[in-house]
Amino acid sequence: MIQRLLPFVTLALLFIGLSIASPHFLTNTNLSSVIRQTAVINIMALGMTLIIVAGGIDLSVGAILAFGGLTGTMAMAAGQPIVAGVAIGIIAGMFWGCLNGLLTTRLRINPFIVTLGTLGIIRGITLIISNGLPVHNVPQAFSYLGEGLLLGVPFVLWILLACALAVHITLEHTRLGRYTFAIGSNPDAAYYSGIPVSFHTTAVYAIGGMLTGLAGMIEASRLMTGQPTAGQGYELQAIAAVVIGGGSLRGGEGSVIGTLIGAFIMGLLSNGSDLLGISPYVQQAIIGAVIILAVSVDELRKRKMTA
Amino acid sequence: MLLELKNIRKHFGGVAALRDGNLCVEPGQVHLLLGENGAGKSTLMKIVAGMIDPDGGKIIWRGQKVQFRKPAEAAANGIAMVHQESLLAPHLSVAENVFLGRELCNPFGWVRRRRMQQETARLIEEHRFPLRAEWRVENLSPAGKQMVEICRAICHGSSLLIFDEPTSSLSEAETHEVFRIVRGLRERKMGVIYITHRLEELRAVGDRVTILRDGETVHSGALEELPTERIIQLMVGREVTAIYRREPLPPGDVLLQVENINRAPLLHDISLKLRAGEIVGLAGLVGAGRTEFCHTVFGLDPMDSGRILVAGREVQIRSPRDAVRAGIALIPEDRQKTGLATLLPTGYNLTMANLKSVSRFGFLSGAKERRVARTYMDRLRIKADSPKQLAGRLSGGNQQKVAIAKWVARGARVLLFDEPTRGIDVGAKVEVFQVMDELARAGAAILMVSSELPELLQVADRILVMRQGRITGELPGRTTQEEIMSLAALEHSSGRTEENSR
Repeated sequence: MIQRLLPFVTLALLFIGLSIASPHFLTNTNLSSVIRQTAVINIMALGMTLIIVAGGIDLSVGAILAFGGLTGTMAMAAGQPIVAGVAIGIIAGMFWGCLNGLLTTRLRINPFIVTLGTLGIIRGITLIISNGLPVHNVPQAFSYLGEGLLLGVPFVLWILLACALAVHITLEHTRLGRYTFAIGSNPDAAYYSGIPVSFHTTAVYAIGGMLTGLAGMIEASRLMTGQPTAGQGYELQAIAAVVIGGGSLRGGEGSVIGTLIGAFIMGLLSNGSDLLGISPYVQQAIIGAVIILAVSVDELRKRKMTA
Repeated sequence: MLLELKNIRKHFGGVAALRDGNLCVEPGQVHLLLGENGAGKSTLMKIVAGMIDPDGGKIIWRGQKVQFRKPAEAAANGIAMVHQESLLAPHLSVAENVFLGRELCNPFGWVRRRRMQQETARLIEEHRFPLRAEWRVENLSPAGKQMVEICRAICHGSSLLIFDEPTSSLSEAETHEVFRIVRGLRERKMGVIYITHRLEELRAVGDRVTILRDGETVHSGALEELPTERIIQLMVGREVTAIYRREPLPPGDVLLQVENINRAPLLHDISLKLRAGEIVGLAGLVGAGRTEFCHTVFGLDPMDSGRILVAGREVQIRSPRDAVRAGIALIPEDRQKTGLATLLPTGYNLTMANLKSVSRFGFLSGAKERRVARTYMDRLRIKADSPKQLAGRLSGGNQQKVAIAKWVARGARVLLFDEPTRGIDVGAKVEVFQVMDELARAGAAILMVSSELPELLQVADRILVMRQGRITGELPGRTTQEEIMSLAALEHSSGRTEENSR
């Protein structure tokens, strides 16, 4: 039980430690900026949680994020209202997620390879349609999505909480969620039970793509541009958040709470290093070590359970 | 004397796999090791090959008491085993596999590929193996892979070669090829132990025979003196222990009707009917096509032709989903792999095939789900701390009950049990039988595939026997193991049956 709470305890200790170590940590501006920085990765990681619980993986989310952000901002630049632009970004993400799901289930190719391929394809298409140039011409009000405040709290926090709640309910209280666990835990047993495995796997990838599209719009709003090169390396951060939070790449394990904690641990580590003047080079190494540490502790716990 | 085994004993957990295993092999002799599934043949051979430690008894190798702690030790002493499933590196060549682990190297550690190829080619020619040294192993047939293993054993200078059911997955021509090579080994004064299930091939290779039954050597002697009928008797000859005996009830309507199912090359023209309230046994040797038949009816494998009717209505079954919708359930042979999600809670497994009934508009009702889990845990007497306990942590018998319960919860009326008692202990077996009986009494139609003949005789109302993809006969529930075995194993089955029943 103590080990199960370990990610949470780590997060709390990190929070307290940073509060003591740096006078700038516990300020409104700093905490808001931590939330805004983590929100993008966090929302992607929520989708990734579903995918990883289903026993899959999606390496293309960084590219999907860029594609969603770009198409959404292009729509706005072409005169579409902001809401429509955001919707277009989300739908674009869903489209690619759907494709990933269909390729893995219909062609029965390992998702690692499928999404490694689509990572290149999507990034390439994004660069082609943008000609490699960012979209700047977005309405001023669009910045509210990423930078605005609602009831004194960053607007993205509300979005994050809403997404987290929705994914949590999906995972724990719907048939789709239960099938996700079943497929990830033992795809053969799921198939033998008459579960439509391909359909639900595809649905999971599509939801992941949707959330990534939304994250792409938030990223675009924060930059106030549609960047075709946005989101490079984000896929690894999203995966890291899920596994730090107890998700297993073997499938069948993972939770929304865990992923949130995982993403915030990474966010605090990088924010704390900034505040304490630790070089970004060292930051990378620290985060890498934390990933290995978190997963090895989790493995030890599981081994003890099965012994 | 090459090898002598005396009073070998081995327990797995509480189950005795070997009580008193005895065997003597001389050089230049092919020694057949016979027995039913679970008689202890493979365990005994694994002990000889150093894969398992015995609990007691003596192994005497070339006149000295030995104890091999790992396969490498046995191999170094000249004992090699040709496994049912090949243990080769599929991406390497035949020559590289033959020399695997003892590559020829020059003083700098360079592997001498050419030498190894030449060496292997020489061996292949000498023994007339249908192989070439440079072929990649993954492209070989099962027979070819066995040849490579034999080649490796000879190359390593083995003086005793153990074959564990070498022909179970081979065609007839390949089987003859194996026989030819085995006879060649005998001429070279090597010792051969040969495990087989196929009674018709005994005389083709064997010199002496040892028969195991329930972990004990019950007979050892020359093959010529032993008629096949006597061998069957010795293999199955124990009294059927009447731990459980089902009282059949008058069967009801036909629930499952299968007409002329074909699936090349495994299933030929299979037709059968299952009625409500009936438990029908399906017997046959390993590889007879029983599991494949269940898989085809359940939609896991496509059929070439044939019809399936459930409760009189024809159904199209292309996937397990179609089968489940039609009310057909499969309790598969390998619970851990395909029957259960062992890392998920028991409760999740119980509702896995039936989530719609505990959810509304896609949302699960926790209360309903708990109620369903409780109901079926009580009804099938599943012993678990709570529905939250992981399915993989239950005992084998309770796991099997969970795998059954999920179909009962779904309301399946045609249940296909593939080896329902595999890997569960005696007490739990009886409980599984009771559950099957209760289901039949509640109106289900049950097909029970089992290699345990005594169990079929205890449970089944009638028994169908399969051999090489065909149903070769139907016997009443109160038949004998000899009758089943002769239908399952012998080439000219009809004649034998008459002889026995006389």
